[in-house]
Amino acid sequence: MARKSTVLLLTPGLLLTGAVFLSPFVFLGLTSFWTQRPNSLLIDPAFTLVNYVRIATDSFFLGTLFRTILLGIVTVAICLLLGLPIARWIARRAVRTRGILVVLMVTPMVSGALVQTLGLVNLLSLLGVINGLLKQLGLIDWSIRFLGNEGGVLIGLVQAFLPLMVLPLITTLAKLPEDLEAAARSLGAPAWRVWVTIILPLAMPGILAGSILVFFASVTSFVTPQILGQGKVQTFGTVMYQQSALVNDWPFASALAMAMMLVLGVLLLAVRAVRRGLERRPVIGSAS
Amino acid sequence: MNLRRAGTDTIWIAWMAIGYIVVLLPIVVVVFASFSDSNTFRFPPTGYSLKWYQAAFASSEYRNALGVSLLVGLLATAVSLTAGTLAAYALSRSEFRGKSSIETLLLAPLALPHIVWAIGLLQIYAWLGIGGTLLGLVLAHAALTLPFAVRIMLSTFIQLDRTLQEAASTLGASPPRVIWHIVLPLIWPGVLTSALLTFLTSFNEVTVSVLIAGSRYLTYPVRLYSELRSQGIDPTTVAISAMLLALIVVFALIGERFLNWSRRV
Repeated sequence: MARKSTVLLLTPGLLLTGAVFLSPFVFLGLTSFWTQRPNSLLIDPAFTLVNYVRIATDSFFLGTLFRTILLGIVTVAICLLLGLPIARWIARRAVRTRGILVVLMVTPMVSGALVQTLGLVNLLSLLGVINGLLKQLGLIDWSIRFLGNEGGVLIGLVQAFLPLMVLPLITTLAKLPEDLEAAARSLGAPAWRVWVTIILPLAMPGILAGSILVFFASVTSFVTPQILGQGKVQTFGTVMYQQSALVNDWPFASALAMAMMLVLGVLLLAVRAVRRGLERRPVIGSAS
Repeated sequence: MNLRRAGTDTIWIAWMAIGYIVVLLPIVVVVFASFSDSNTFRFPPTGYSLKWYQAAFASSEYRNALGVSLLVGLLATAVSLTAGTLAAYALSRSEFRGKSSIETLLLAPLALPHIVWAIGLLQIYAWLGIGGTLLGLVLAHAALTLPFAVRIMLSTFIQLDRTLQEAASTLGASPPRVIWHIVLPLIWPGVLTSALLTFLTSFNEVTVSVLIAGSRYLTYPVRLYSELRSQGIDPTTVAISAMLLALIVVFALIGERFLNWSRRV
């Protein structure tokens, strides 16, 4: 194909991505060094580090960042615990049910975040399904408060992002060679040992991919913590939203957003280093 | 031995069931709650009725919001599908330096955090004066959904047999005729798949829309969001959401049955 027509065909897509998607990131980098004039919507375009100093020294923002990361780590851990058996079953055992199991796992991804949040509120509220059921069974007399605390947000994050963990795991687990496990079992290895020494190490690329997806999605999410946290749980996403849409301190919101990008970038580099290390390692752990 | 295996399977399936219950229960609850007859949802329900479905069809406010969502979704799909198809065609048919970086660039919106993007976009829109406008929403949704169109169309074009086109041109068909009679009939499943996925993503989008929406163009998810944040749940929206869910499931089933979605996406 001629060079000119290639350029011509690529132009609309590149223009859309460049002008609408990438330019805001550049803009954020710029405005994060500016300041908002007090009590006005005007911005003072003079270079200053004041926003970053505020993030680094204010215990509220540091605490929020820390809590958001912790929430992300716990979400990843729970998603791994729930997702590994599902992915293993779909990859190995399910034959006729495989399609339906995958479709059921993907359903939340196509049905929209808010519909599910709506369902979660109905499920977890004081007069909701879970409290109603527990009362009917006579297990509790007073409703348990699930909404407005970290527990509720955690349930929402796991619900929303478990599919992101399961899908890459299925791909990886389906590719594992079956004879290795069979050999280990025939040599008398108990099931847990097969998992620890064979399945988990070989599935590490999928585990890493899924964990990254879930972690990224949960630390940058804002609808779930905003609704299920009922304003009482602050995460980095909700704080960025507040500074941007409610406080209207856009330069400071920009600095928060840049801080988030920095944290995610550092994490991504760390994971890449781990992955390199994994690739250099001998195929099967020789220590055992 | 068999008995032991059956035992492990039972535990295994029970553990899997927890995961599926967590993932699917909210959707089930929305459908269930839409038939409730009280003003605030409570469990166990006091009775069942279809009155919230009647209210849903009578409410002009929600009809407007759904109309905005539909309009934004259709326009964004048109823009992103056009740009995505052209780019995918160019990427599939030529070799040049920097091709893989262009591909990465076009797929970037899949990886970068939307909340961060939205905060930047909000500021640029304010500066350009298109905050809260239809144009602003459509551009944002088109940029966000472009990667889906590019990715699906790229694999569609790669699978397209090029010799068919060459044969047609050798036999004297003009380029428009080749496209109309050869290319389009072969790529339409890919076009339809990316169109539906793009539309669905736009229709469900909430993070970015909440930040850049003004007061005139409120999409249905934005309406729902502000309702969940402030006054609590209006049962009418539960009924609307249940109907939307049913529609999406029907679309997904059609897509899977006729277009093999799970293998395309």
